[in-house]
Amino acid sequence: MDKAKIIEVIKKNILANLEDVKEEDIVPEKSMKDYGADSLDIIEVVSCSMRELNIKIPRSELTDIKNIDELANKFMQNIKG
Amino acid sequence: MDNILSFSLADFQYNDNPDVLAPPNDFEEWINHPKIKASFSFFEQQLLAAPRASTEILSNLDHKKRKVINLTSYNYLGLSSHPEVIQAACDAARQYGLGASGAPLLSGTFDLHVKFAKMLADFKQKEDCLLYSSGLGGNMGAIQGILRKGDVLVLDEKCHKSIVDGGTLSGAKMLFFEHNNIDSLVAMLEKNKGKRTLVAVEGVYSMDGDLVKLKEVVEVCDRYKAAIYIDEAHSTLMFGKNGRGVAEHFGLEHKVGVTFGTLSKSFGGVGGFICSNARLIRYLKCYSSPYHFSCAPSPIIIAGLIKAFEVATRDSSLRDKLWENTGYFKKQLLDLKLNLGGTESQVIPIIIGSSGEKLFQMAMELQKRGLFLQPVDFPAVPANARRFRISVSSQLTKEEIDEACNIIEDVIVKGLKN
Repeated sequence: MDKAKIIEVIKKNILANLEDVKEEDIVPEKSMKDYGADSLDIIEVVSCSMRELNIKIPRSELTDIKNIDELANKFMQNIKG
Repeated sequence: MDNILSFSLADFQYNDNPDVLAPPNDFEEWINHPKIKASFSFFEQQLLAAPRASTEILSNLDHKKRKVINLTSYNYLGLSSHPEVIQAACDAARQYGLGASGAPLLSGTFDLHVKFAKMLADFKQKEDCLLYSSGLGGNMGAIQGILRKGDVLVLDEKCHKSIVDGGTLSGAKMLFFEHNNIDSLVAMLEKNKGKRTLVAVEGVYSMDGDLVKLKEVVEVCDRYKAAIYIDEAHSTLMFGKNGRGVAEHFGLEHKVGVTFGTLSKSFGGVGGFICSNARLIRYLKCYSSPYHFSCAPSPIIIAGLIKAFEVATRDSSLRDKLWENTGYFKKQLLDLKLNLGGTESQVIPIIIGSSGEKLFQMAMELQKRGLFLQPVDFPAVPANARRFRISVSSQLTKEEIDEACNIIEDVIVKGLKN
């Protein structure tokens, strides 16, 4: 799976979990916090995305991630095959 | 799971096991790993005596009884085993029996509950008080009772789970602001101007021991017409000239809309309470589920708490001793060049860093040396700031603090150098 597809999955879950966000406004260089996400929202978006991508990354390894692009890179590293 | 030791309790909330009565499969794989099992052995260790400064535990590490210096219990003022408190509880058991046998609105309200609630309301300089059977129930129930869908709860990101759960139950929109960051608080309030808004903060934050920046919070909340809810679980009976808490410490009690306290920490019993205006308390008696639908607190506990309150407030000797012990302990730890974070209270973290393995190795050695000092791991604290957390008690003697520091030096200071 390429990175663009991973970002699509993350975007889809941002739209499903956050209010008042438009798809065209979501850019990878921004953090979910920029779209009004609180810590519970972020957990939900990350969990839903990981389930969809069939990966499991320890939450302790995600604490330093700054934006959607870095999250997608982290997911890429963990996708098998 | 390849890197099983990197996982934590933050990773297994979601459960898709087809058997609804089973945990997630990967949780079982994780928790049965020998190293994870070893770290969990620190949980639920049995105390064999009162949670005094020196007590005895049945260690889960080697299944031996062990005398320990207790730096973990929240018995800050030693009231759980104070002889006058025990006597009051025994007397109440004979007069009232074991339980309240009813919800407060129907048959569970005893004269003791009314008396104690009045004492707490007067103490906190509010019109009325609501008693809860548990501290968690109090925070959760108060927030759930106050807020509704369409309202806004703005809370410090380090607020206790009971406040978060109350917000979830209420249906209100929850917005977390960065810990003690007033600009972040303003940003959250600015987003929701004009809505019914409650701002929740804690007097003393339980994992770091630092205080709320209450003066700044009050200024901002005045500007945005938001009400303030303060959780004084770790500060009531200790902070302020009269022990009324951090709001008294800052001279801002009149600016607080609702003040919450637990009865299990400095009070030495169990339960929770909120104090606020009489109209809100009257309303919450009907709409705060952990009050309305729960059996009232045991009369034995309430009788003990009334006595504990009298002992703690008849003079300042217990809190004076607590602050003397805290100052002495902190100085010894700073002399050992330990990282105590930003503590300003009797809650003193010793921050170890990012290695969970190191944390638990030290925890095991501390306990074998006779120190009951529990490790605090991610996700309770950030992954790069795993720690031990000392709860200072007024009961500690100078000798016990010195011995504790000797053990901390041998285990933690030396361990950090390796």
